[in-house]
Amino acid sequence: MSTQLNIAQETAKPVPGSGFIGSTDDQDVLLEISNLSKNFGGLQAINDVSLNLRAGIITTLVGPNGAGKTTLFNMITGHIPPTEGNVHWQGESVIGKAPWKIARQGIARTFQDLRLFTHMTVEENILTVMEPGSWLWQPGGKSRKARRYDKVSQILERTGLTDKRHTRALDLAYAERKFLSLARIMATDSRLWLLDEPASGLDPNSYNLFLRLLREEVKEGITVCIIEHNLDIVVNISDRIAFLDQGKLLADGEPETILNDPALAAIYFGER
Amino acid sequence: MTAYILNLLVLISVYAILSTTLNFIIGYAGIFSLAHAVFFGIGGYTAALVAMNVTPEFFVAVPVAMGAAAVTSLLLALPALRVRGEYFVAASLGLQVLAVTLFSEWKSFTGGIGGVIGIPAVELFGYPVYKPWQFLLMSLICLATIIVITRTLVHTSFGRSLKALRDSESAALASGKNITVIKTLSVVLSSSLAAAAGALYAFYMSFINVESFMLDTSVLVMAMVIIGGTATILGPLLGAALLMLIPSALTYLSFLPQTEIGSIQQMVYGMAMVLLMIFRPGGIVSSHPGGSK
Ligand SMILES: Nc1ncnc2c1ncn2[C@@H]1O[C@H](COP(=O)(O)OP(=O)(O)O)[C@@H](O)[C@H]1O
Ligand SMILES: [Mg+2]
Repeated sequence: MSTQLNIAQETAKPVPGSGFIGSTDDQDVLLEISNLSKNFGGLQAINDVSLNLRAGIITTLVGPNGAGKTTLFNMITGHIPPTEGNVHWQGESVIGKAPWKIARQGIARTFQDLRLFTHMTVEENILTVMEPGSWLWQPGGKSRKARRYDKVSQILERTGLTDKRHTRALDLAYAERKFLSLARIMATDSRLWLLDEPASGLDPNSYNLFLRLLREEVKEGITVCIIEHNLDIVVNISDRIAFLDQGKLLADGEPETILNDPALAAIYFGER
Repeated sequence: MTAYILNLLVLISVYAILSTTLNFIIGYAGIFSLAHAVFFGIGGYTAALVAMNVTPEFFVAVPVAMGAAAVTSLLLALPALRVRGEYFVAASLGLQVLAVTLFSEWKSFTGGIGGVIGIPAVELFGYPVYKPWQFLLMSLICLATIIVITRTLVHTSFGRSLKALRDSESAALASGKNITVIKTLSVVLSSSLAAAAGALYAFYMSFINVESFMLDTSVLVMAMVIIGGTATILGPLLGAALLMLIPSALTYLSFLPQTEIGSIQQMVYGMAMVLLMIFRPGGIVSSHPGGSK
């Protein structure tokens, strides 16, 4: 509860263009994307997209393959510079910042192709994320170190990877790899999670575990933006839906509104 | 005969330092440098300069040599930060070629093509070390120290950061890793430890010239790492021993035409490399699946 209040306070200054005044559901904008565009040579992967991610909710980014969803993530996290436009994180522009700095400001992400640290063990994968010091030692000494190991154990427990603690990432099964990529961002103290197709290909049990984790984290105050095709996530989990097609943001609103729009449904279900 | 064996062992331990330190960046940071001999050379020349003009004291000459290599290694860190894979290999190759030219031309530092002669025996707290077995002991202690240092580093948070950026640079960035600092530090550490090998070598030979610090040395050391097995402790040691022993073994095969030993040696190396990469791509001591650890 107190973290929720903090979020409200920190973001309680008017953010440009967020429609802050007088509107109840426009409060607590954590991340503001304004007029963002990206050209790859002649291809316009993202075309003048403006979108707000609100604190404490799940925003789902939907759209056909090649719509530009991953590219949008890449620009938010600094992996790809935009051609035009801006991204504000808690009121401050992140454009031009190194990805590791953006990450340390509280934006965590997973990758569609996971990008685990393949030759490291599950434990090392998680531990390294909690070690921000770049030099030869970590601040905080033995007690902090012990706390890091405790946190690894907790995360392993929650993601069902306890038995795999000393297994190398490349020796994991598919679902386990996906949970490791989640575990890696659970280890950060980030406020915003950008998840790139985290549920795709999960068996029903794994999928339910994933949903439970997601709900728990949101309850703890994590804000989530998730790229997903899975209709269950789109309909039942999302608080808001942003619909992207061919680099353009076609709609952004409550799930019912979006799904009841026949034109969008046609694109979504591939009936163009 | 013992003199011959002692000599071989000293050279193996010097090269084992080179392969261990190169493995540190190849195996753990994924930085494939073809310029390792440059820092071997800088270590050698600097130690020689200090020994001849200031003092042959080990604990002065070696740290100064390591410091010189640490500073110059920033030249290698620069391309390592900007490009990866084959582009970095090309950049390091350029640095190696550039260094050889400098080593040949910069007479006041390197003695030019003729090299540096009359390097005094190294001293440990004032006591000169000139008997071969004493020197062997000293270089083995250096090797052991460097193995302990790199092994320890690899198992700390720094080692984990290195491996993380080796396995996925973009994911390491997304995890908040300051890649600039981590990569630079790994290159500086590896290069300055390689300079210790250069200092030992200069003291041991009492004469050095550019021929020991050319591209063939860089290639040889890289072969030691890859044949032995990257990202392992034992691999680079084994690789160094093996590649140093092959030439001596060949000279014992009396049916081989001794004048052609050089080219036969090259062919043996080449064949060994090709066969190994086909049948055991992780090296003799493999850290990859199917291997022991
Ligand atoms: N680094 C890149 N260089 C060139 N083209 C790219 C790059 N990344 C993505 N694209 C192109 O941009 C378009 C959008 O890709 P992407 O964002 O991955 O789509 P989505 O995640 O919605 O499936 C695609 O046509 C893709 O080929
Ligand atoms: Mg994608």
